[in-house]
Amino acid sequence: MNVPEVVEYARGLKHVAFADEGKWSCSVDYLAKIKEAIKEHNLNRVVIASCTPRTHEPLFKQTVKEAGLNPYLLEFVSIREQDSWVHMGEPERATQKAKDLIKMGVAKAIFLEEGEEIRLPVQTDCLVIGGGVAGMSAALQIADQGFQTILVEREPKLGGLLNRVSTVSHDHGVMPAPEIVRVKATLVESHPNINVYTDTEIESLQGYIGNYKVKLKTNGKSSEEALDISTIIVATGMKELEPTGQYEYGSDSRVITQLELEELLRGMSGNSEPLYGTVSNRSLLKVKDVVMINCVNSKNETRGCCNIGCSISVKNALALKKLQPDLQIHILYRDLSMVKEEHFHLDEAKAAGIKFIRFPDDHYPQLVKEDGRFVIRVYDILLGKELEIPSDMLVLTTAFKGNETVGQIKGYLKVSANSDGFFQEAHVKLGPVDFPSAGISLSGCAKSPKNFKESCEEGMAAAMRVSIPMKKGYIEAEGIVADIDLTDCSKCSLCYKNCPFSAIQLDENKQPSVIKALCKGCGLCAADCPKECITIVHYSDEQLLAQVEAALEESPEKKILGFVCHWCALGGVDMAGVSRLQYPSNARLIRVMCSARVPIKLIERAFELGAAGVLVVGCEFPTCHYITGNYACEARMNRAKKKLSKKGVDPDKLWVDWCSAADGPKFANIMRDMVKQLNLG
Amino acid sequence: MSEPILIIGGGVAGINCALNVANYGTKVYLVDDTPSIGGMMARLDKTFPTNDCSICIEAPLMYEVHNHSNIEILTNTEVRRVRKTNGMFKVRLVKKAKFIDEEKCTGCRACMDACPASLPDEMDGKIGGMRKLISMAFPQAVPNKVYINPDCRYGRMRNKGACVGGCVVDCSQCRECPIALCVAACKKEGKDAVRLWQSNKNIDLEVKSIVVATGIKDAPAPPGLHGYDVYDNVITNIQFERLMNAGGPTTGRIVRPSDKKYAHKIAWIQCAGRGLAQGLPYCSKVCCMIAAKQTIITKEHDSSVETLIFYNDLKAYGKGFWGFYQKAKEKGVRYIKARPYDVSEDPATKNLTIRYEDLETGELKKEEVELLVLSTGLIPSNRNQNLAKVLNIELDHLGFFKERDPLMAPLATNVKGIYLCGGATGPIDISESVVQACAAGMKAILTN
Repeated sequence: MNVPEVVEYARGLKHVAFADEGKWSCSVDYLAKIKEAIKEHNLNRVVIASCTPRTHEPLFKQTVKEAGLNPYLLEFVSIREQDSWVHMGEPERATQKAKDLIKMGVAKAIFLEEGEEIRLPVQTDCLVIGGGVAGMSAALQIADQGFQTILVEREPKLGGLLNRVSTVSHDHGVMPAPEIVRVKATLVESHPNINVYTDTEIESLQGYIGNYKVKLKTNGKSSEEALDISTIIVATGMKELEPTGQYEYGSDSRVITQLELEELLRGMSGNSEPLYGTVSNRSLLKVKDVVMINCVNSKNETRGCCNIGCSISVKNALALKKLQPDLQIHILYRDLSMVKEEHFHLDEAKAAGIKFIRFPDDHYPQLVKEDGRFVIRVYDILLGKELEIPSDMLVLTTAFKGNETVGQIKGYLKVSANSDGFFQEAHVKLGPVDFPSAGISLSGCAKSPKNFKESCEEGMAAAMRVSIPMKKGYIEAEGIVADIDLTDCSKCSLCYKNCPFSAIQLDENKQPSVIKALCKGCGLCAADCPKECITIVHYSDEQLLAQVEAALEESPEKKILGFVCHWCALGGVDMAGVSRLQYPSNARLIRVMCSARVPIKLIERAFELGAAGVLVVGCEFPTCHYITGNYACEARMNRAKKKLSKKGVDPDKLWVDWCSAADGPKFANIMRDMVKQLNLG
Repeated sequence: MSEPILIIGGGVAGINCALNVANYGTKVYLVDDTPSIGGMMARLDKTFPTNDCSICIEAPLMYEVHNHSNIEILTNTEVRRVRKTNGMFKVRLVKKAKFIDEEKCTGCRACMDACPASLPDEMDGKIGGMRKLISMAFPQAVPNKVYINPDCRYGRMRNKGACVGGCVVDCSQCRECPIALCVAACKKEGKDAVRLWQSNKNIDLEVKSIVVATGIKDAPAPPGLHGYDVYDNVITNIQFERLMNAGGPTTGRIVRPSDKKYAHKIAWIQCAGRGLAQGLPYCSKVCCMIAAKQTIITKEHDSSVETLIFYNDLKAYGKGFWGFYQKAKEKGVRYIKARPYDVSEDPATKNLTIRYEDLETGELKKEEVELLVLSTGLIPSNRNQNLAKVLNIELDHLGFFKERDPLMAPLATNVKGIYLCGGATGPIDISESVVQACAAGMKAILTN
């Protein structure tokens, strides 16, 4: 492109006091020049037209800040990835596009306002709900930093599921479970910074990070005063799904679950009596033939793999063998999900004479009673025939579900859980111990079934997550946040219901207000507010409208107006740029933080101004930086199309698509297709 | 501010660990021995079980690390020596020359356009990916700077067409190069960032604790296994991942190496080589879900492509994984419980015939496919042996780093103050790596 011509054009734009070009504006020497110019010309807004905000915006923000200007007064225009790199064969059009993009940037810059990071103070009190291994691990890490920790456990004793199992490992050299509980519980109970409340439930809990109020109920007695809490770790654990009615469980005492077997083993090792003894005091030593059936209630239409069942069955079978070497043990399984080193335990079990029989996914073993004796009928895949195995103890490896308190806690914290009562984390990959709302973490089996070691690790990880705001003493949100003007508010509470981060609260009169430190600035609330009383700082309707109008000032009939989300869609645009994919130059893109920010009225306005087409691109499903923004966008765009056709605008002129940050080729293709179908070629 | 922490390895575990520790207010040195942070995840296409785009979710974290005032990134840097005195680790790092002045390089890539020679990419070679002798690790690399293949600089690439081949003088003897095209291209852009005479640099640090996050490696297929390295159209699952990646060498077109034509029938062999002399003795945990992901994405690219998976035990161990497997089946992926024992190629079509024993019926069967993917599993990183010596920590019998007491002190090593996370501990998926990264970060902070 002809850069001097673009600079000359920029210089001539209204409100522009200074324009200059630099070959490498991000180099140290040029950054110094920018700072000088800001001071010398007393500039109060800065527009940088260069590469992409995704990589370089923080650098330029820092630069203007160093020059004494509020960093929110900077607007970034991408004329490399969006222009010079992708329209190499048509320099004149590229030059024209650069002029337009800069004009749009300047138009927005005029309306930019000073912003600031928003801080919410956070004290150092943490509530850990659940005194199992995850909760205890978390509490110890937090308390070790000198932070006050309140550990609440429903049962009379700390330890959770560990109070029912015999061992946590195949390796008989390691501590048995009761010993682990004793060691851990002593550490917790003797810690000066941990207050342990056993026999205690949460009676009420409300607030948000830094401002929780919790009331406890110990032994049925409510606490008088509410405690002030800053952060919360949810470690409520899980329980076995009782296989009542299956394989005569519940009616014949010879049928037990793995957890009940654990209790028997625990009793045998002389460490302690079973706590919840649902099993009679039959001696394990009299048993001759044990059959274990894995995947009972798992891996079906409603539920997945329980993650730990296979290794538990192998572990317990080995423990039984150790107790009574001539015992016959059969493990009936579908798939042996034994990962990493667990595979070596499998070899150990086979060497010990434990027999493994694989049955088909759709053909579970059957229990047959012959004269009161058990016979298990199972089809062995490998042998290709049905076997009959005598048994005097049938152990069911059953699935797990979340604790019954899940429903209550879900309501208190405004978080979600799946149909089995396991809490939903913020992001499956990158936010495994977070909830969407700041200051609350999730750990251990409350999220999904896991083994002892993984639960410890999650407890430690959750402690890390909540310790950050407690150490800093605040949480901070970028200045891009929602702001509600209540003048026209109809108290419909749509914003409250839709906010993915629980950043909007309602007072007694149903009047909404934004907890700014929790707001991530996606703009979903603003775009859907029926009374248009919500604005997003730095992405206000006014600013976006100015960009739309600037983009479509000249020859709108040839232009495609695009809205792209900052995270994935713009990533795809940048990828097309970096890969030098050549596509038509008709688009003028406007960056929004999330596709959910794009209101229907802006699209209507673009068509009123004569745009040839409008494009909205968000993150590919199910990825969204704001959890559900793209879903909200999709729903809204469907409404937009209906509205457009009512107004006589061809709804096919509105294109809605989804891109990943690697989708350079896809974005280039969208551009080509649009130009073709809108006859802009 | 308290004493700093060293994190070795800038993959998803190292990055997450660094961000947590840095946000806590502790200074972090994040060291990676490759030219960019990002690790394995930066080059994957999608992540299971949600099919989130891998680089889309990792790149923002990479930029965050880059811009964080508490984090110093040291790429292309190795840990050479570690001594513990008075409870602190004295660390000697060696920053290997990238032959680039990173202050001056703006990532404009003019030098890459000018470079006359390419080599097969370390990851994508088999499927046609090439890399210039001066190149960027990947488009989203952090730092977004180029680096020069040291073999070029040392004159070993002359027979591959390197431009410095004509020169008889060792680059370290000059302060100007009249020959190298990258040097000229960089100067023409008004920058003078190429430094062929750059040498390695020692950096000394003192830190209170160390987190080892050196990651994991995809196991190479043993030569000859199921026709690998014998037949063109047999590739590993990581190569397939690159094949379906829009940012990969084929821009996401799932084509065969032999003729670059779309593959219409593709098979995956799970546990490839398991139990064989050169194969793995253990289950790598993630391959079942990788295969489910790859078949789903293949079907999403083109639903008419036939996909089949030969497997033995299905590992659907995590939350949502079973549903993901069901989704693959709904999309028409054929799961066959089988033991493949032989693969042969039709020389005319380059198609592959797989002979296998169907475990459910015991019958011997065969199936002809156009592309065969081997799920070879995950092995310890090459770095482990040497790093274990430098840090004085132990490896387990498989070559992964060993935890002192996995149950009572998870992630801690036999040296107080050194912790582990991610693939350094063994085969692991991304979310488990992130959990461990947070946990190890917590332990590293609490070390005193």
